[in-house]
Amino acid sequence: MQTGNRTSLKELTDTATTIRKDVIRMVARHGQGYVQQGLGAADLFSYLYFQELRFDTANLNWADRDRFILSTAHNTAVFYATLARAGLLEPQTLTEYCLDGSSLEINASERLGPLVECTCGSLGQGLSVAVGLAMGSRRQQRDANIYLMLGDGELEEGQVWEAAMFAATHKLSNLTMIIDLNYMQVEGDARDVAAIDPVDAKLESFGWQTIIIDGHDFEAMFASFAAARANTDRPSCIIAQTTPGKGVPFLEGQKSHNMVLPEGTADDALRWLEADHG
Amino acid sequence: MAESDNSPLKSDALHLDDFSVRQQPHQQIVPKYYGEALLAAARADTSILALTADLTAPTETDLVRDHLPDQFVMAGIAEANMVGVGAGLARAGFIPFVHSFSVFLSRRSFDQIAMQIAYPKTNVKLVGFMPGIDSLLGVSHQAIDDIALMRALPNMTILEPASPADYQDAVAAALAHEGPVYLRLYRATAPATPVDGVPPLQAGKIRHLHHGNDAAIFATGLMVEQALLAAEDLKAQSVNASVIDCASIKPLDVEGILEVISQSKIIVTAENHTIIGGLGSAIAEIMAGNNIARPFFRIGVQDCFAEGGSRAFLFGKYGLSAKDIAAAVKQGLAS
Repeated sequence: MQTGNRTSLKELTDTATTIRKDVIRMVARHGQGYVQQGLGAADLFSYLYFQELRFDTANLNWADRDRFILSTAHNTAVFYATLARAGLLEPQTLTEYCLDGSSLEINASERLGPLVECTCGSLGQGLSVAVGLAMGSRRQQRDANIYLMLGDGELEEGQVWEAAMFAATHKLSNLTMIIDLNYMQVEGDARDVAAIDPVDAKLESFGWQTIIIDGHDFEAMFASFAAARANTDRPSCIIAQTTPGKGVPFLEGQKSHNMVLPEGTADDALRWLEADHG
Repeated sequence: MAESDNSPLKSDALHLDDFSVRQQPHQQIVPKYYGEALLAAARADTSILALTADLTAPTETDLVRDHLPDQFVMAGIAEANMVGVGAGLARAGFIPFVHSFSVFLSRRSFDQIAMQIAYPKTNVKLVGFMPGIDSLLGVSHQAIDDIALMRALPNMTILEPASPADYQDAVAAALAHEGPVYLRLYRATAPATPVDGVPPLQAGKIRHLHHGNDAAIFATGLMVEQALLAAEDLKAQSVNASVIDCASIKPLDVEGILEVISQSKIIVTAENHTIIGGLGSAIAEIMAGNNIARPFFRIGVQDCFAEGGSRAFLFGKYGLSAKDIAAAVKQGLAS
């Protein structure tokens, strides 16, 4: 939560580790799921919810809150775990992840309430809604920022580029898109599916400020998000290069959209994370 | 921003740039019934915004653009994005009216409408022009399935006024309902006169425009005029038909419809739309669900694609004319 104070690197790192352990436990209950993406984005989520985003845990509908839209709506293990650690969700509810009847669905939906600003499982739609929110926020002269996390595979959706062009036309500097760049999609390496590179040059040519960072480097996050907030005449995109499975050496770099996570592997991963940071 | 101008309608407000009709020399000046209704509403409520996808004049949003430019958003030729932006603006507290031709709004943006408007019940008003086969522009521009698509979406209200004289009431009804509304409109080609003696259009209510017990014709949009012509023609042949304006396609006035059906021997539905999934299907569902059997005819596009042409030509060729309605009634009485 943005307080004006700088969260320590240790706290951000420790929080990310805690989130990673939650992700392993949540996915392990089902034996398969979005574990690699969750581990890969854990540092970004730690930074977003423990440093960047402005919200009020006592009033989730606070009109001046920063908005965060998870356009990669399937990457929910890390999202729910982060919400729980940030005091926005009862930690106990994480055990209900993906169970029948639970509002903690695989794809985040508004059944969870205002924490989900927009239901995005159908890829390509989140940016347009974020753009509408950014326009609305600016018309109301709010100083809130609108954040969106997008997957790299999602760049194959044409609507993303409609929205990118429109956001630049309207100079929506209160809009920051984070691209979780891991080149991983269902069919394999995203670069084999479509020529998505160079993402930065493409978005720059569409009128965006772009910053490429290591998605596991908190110092780089401090600098890039500050640059995004300081920008006054165009939307910003932070292209965060992430490693699937980050934090658990024997999972790092394994690209699997919906990976099988046997009990033994999960136990080993948890032991590693405990040992490393316990 | 203050209004730029309170002057009377300028020459560009005339009806000169549409492709729904061929231009005639010395054409009458026709008011922009929808554009004026939206402008009046937007003047009264600054949270109302007009979004359009490069179709400003054909959706009559030029009036908002020219008089309340701060409440106008040009979305460019990108309907899917426009729908998402509208949903985002609604989430921020605005009331976006999102405009295009009916065919593009419904077909190109269906998933976006489903997920960003219908599911979350965002307060977005979708306004589609050039409905059905009423277009010179051909099959790409003819929305023959938009009612079926929109009807299938939970939380969606669908209003298709019979006459531009009803557009002000339709805008009011759309605003009175906090949530998704699809307005299916055509542009006036002649000055429109309100029907006397009937209540104003409202969601969830039918309007009985013509009375008769031999047959009931349930019609919507442009087909109401054809139904009234058919009823006059039938009356001359001593056949008395009711004409029911079903502007509120969803929610339907089930009680009102059942009462009319209980007093009628023949049931005919008439819509400028495919006979699959639209008004005819909705009435059939009501009849079947209430164990009512009557001779039943659906006037509309008979499960085919059409072509560009004038309204009279297309309605004649594809079976949507007053003559087709009257023939269906007579066929029912003869059976």
